[in-house]
Amino acid sequence: MGNIGLLFEGFGHILTFQHVLLMMVGVTLGILVGVLPGLGAPNGVSLLLPLTFSMEPISGIILLSCMYWGALFGGSTTSILFNIPGEPSSVATTFDGYPMAKAGQASRALTLAFVSAGIGALAGVVMITLVSGWVANFALRFSSPEYFAVYFLAFASFISMGSSAPFKTLVSMMLGFALASVGMDTISGNLRLTFDIPELIKGISFLIAVMGLFGIGELLLTTEEGLRFEGIKARVRISEVGRTVLELPRYWFTVVRSIFIGILMGITPAGPTAASFMSYGLASRSARDKSNFGKGDPRGIVAPETADHSAGTSALLPMLALGVPGSATAAVMMGGLMIWGLTPGPMLFVERPDFVWGLIASMYLGNIVAVILVIATVPLYASILRVPFTIIGPVIVAVIFSGAYQVSNSLTDVWLVVLFGLLGYIFKKLDYPLAPLVLAMVLGDKAEDAFRQSMLLSSGKLSIFWSNGLVSTLMAIGCLLLLAPALMWVMGVSRKRLTRPDLRQDPNENPL
Amino acid sequence: MSSDGARGISRFAMEILVATATAALGVAVCYGATEAGAGWTEMGPDAGYFPFYIGLLIVFGSVMNILLAVTRQRKLGGVFIDGRRIKSVASFLLPLVAYAAVSSFLGLYVGTALYIAFAMHFQGRYKWWIAVPSGLAVAAFFFLVFEMGFKVPLLKGPVEAWFGIY
Repeated sequence: MGNIGLLFEGFGHILTFQHVLLMMVGVTLGILVGVLPGLGAPNGVSLLLPLTFSMEPISGIILLSCMYWGALFGGSTTSILFNIPGEPSSVATTFDGYPMAKAGQASRALTLAFVSAGIGALAGVVMITLVSGWVANFALRFSSPEYFAVYFLAFASFISMGSSAPFKTLVSMMLGFALASVGMDTISGNLRLTFDIPELIKGISFLIAVMGLFGIGELLLTTEEGLRFEGIKARVRISEVGRTVLELPRYWFTVVRSIFIGILMGITPAGPTAASFMSYGLASRSARDKSNFGKGDPRGIVAPETADHSAGTSALLPMLALGVPGSATAAVMMGGLMIWGLTPGPMLFVERPDFVWGLIASMYLGNIVAVILVIATVPLYASILRVPFTIIGPVIVAVIFSGAYQVSNSLTDVWLVVLFGLLGYIFKKLDYPLAPLVLAMVLGDKAEDAFRQSMLLSSGKLSIFWSNGLVSTLMAIGCLLLLAPALMWVMGVSRKRLTRPDLRQDPNENPL
Repeated sequence: MSSDGARGISRFAMEILVATATAALGVAVCYGATEAGAGWTEMGPDAGYFPFYIGLLIVFGSVMNILLAVTRQRKLGGVFIDGRRIKSVASFLLPLVAYAAVSSFLGLYVGTALYIAFAMHFQGRYKWWIAVPSGLAVAAFFFLVFEMGFKVPLLKGPVEAWFGIY
């Protein structure tokens, strides 16, 4: 198998003292942003990105991806010890993790979470190792219309699979595209959407948007709720870790099913959050003895954690092989690749195999480092959360402001972060999803280029998107996904009309 | 659902307000796109061609959101934010804005020290002899990490110049 050989070469590239040290730094910082309220994986990666501009791309991506793994672990820690999910994707872990910890089994809950998360992540990496070369080879056949179709498919699936109202997803996504097109047009070199404001000529960085939307926005939400941390004292005992690891094989079926869900959700833009909820739901519904779910059932920890992490790692596959990120964090990392002068997508496998396989190899090692580090340092992070929010909050603001300034040494960006923060706060409260906005900001230029190049090829006829089997199939799936919410709505209305002719409300948008 | 008259913004009002604002943004995008040229040139689609349709889609989505909010007004009932929460959010937001403003004059290091000290003293009710050194310590830590460690300097102002740090 060629992939295995390439993987070993990748290990050869990354097995240096410096890289292992970077992994540890990345994981440590990641756990920190995962634990702290208001700082999550997308934002932590954005804050760290400017600091990697001067690094080798491979060192940079090791630092960033390890921060991502660390953040995923950190999110689970607070879910279990404080009943506060550090990341949206670890909400499902609170359902059984916190009750188990509260019942005096904190070490067991944490170990179950970390080890099953590690297994999930490794499964995701194995999948990437086996499949990525093949996907990239397939994608080499793509030209601009196919690329546009892939982007279209990704965005259509956001609209149909998003948990909130489809029109809110549409507005959020299109705002992202509009923000991405501010500044210089990459093809003609003309300025656009700058409204004669000189500060807008250089465009608006997606990093600024992420820091504001996810960082400041989240902090505002936290202050509004007046968060009080009521943590459980945790010390992880080695003997208990060992006993819990031996307990895990009993849940092998839950693990396998969760891995499957995670990989599926991770490759599609549904992402880790959907994966963990779905996996938890399936585990609790299919269990023979349901009585313990919600009260500290081990399967209720294993299922969401495994799915969360396998989705988190799998999200890197479409980013690397197609140039379409599967999650907000993957989108930020992809932006990083472009800043370092690398073009994510199939050509990357041809031009920089050392980078691609180095990254994949680092994912194996990074996740193992993360499991060990997180088990060893849990008490330390638990104590950080006991520091009052009136200190932590302002310090996080200061870190975000400094990070925003460093993106392009400009104070305008600091003000933009404040604006994006307000926007994020309001959008979050009104159930506008934020991930599509970030994704559209990162992909905006590429999607537009693909669209315009296709238009050039066909001299302005949209029929080019239906010109061959491959592109037609992609477009057809995309259109179906777009129409799905509308079809459900029509079906719902007609069914209601039959029973109650006076009622006209759409049932597919309940979560308000 | 209705007894929330005690100073606050209703969820319905906020839905309408935000959707109107996004619609206005959409119109602005369309306008900006036509200014840049939303048509077709001999080099293919003009700079504003793609953004123009993006703007139209924003307007379309916003209008749909307004319609949905109006038709489901009863279901949406409830408050977006009440008076007490407005206060606690404002007490976090206003110092943050002041932080950005002060930093434009005095630089980010001095701004950071002032902001942390202020927030700890007034929001956290720490004594000033704890708050002020903490603020200075955070600023000094930033200086060490960014300036020395990663060599990505932050904005400096007159105070640093006075001490001879560039």
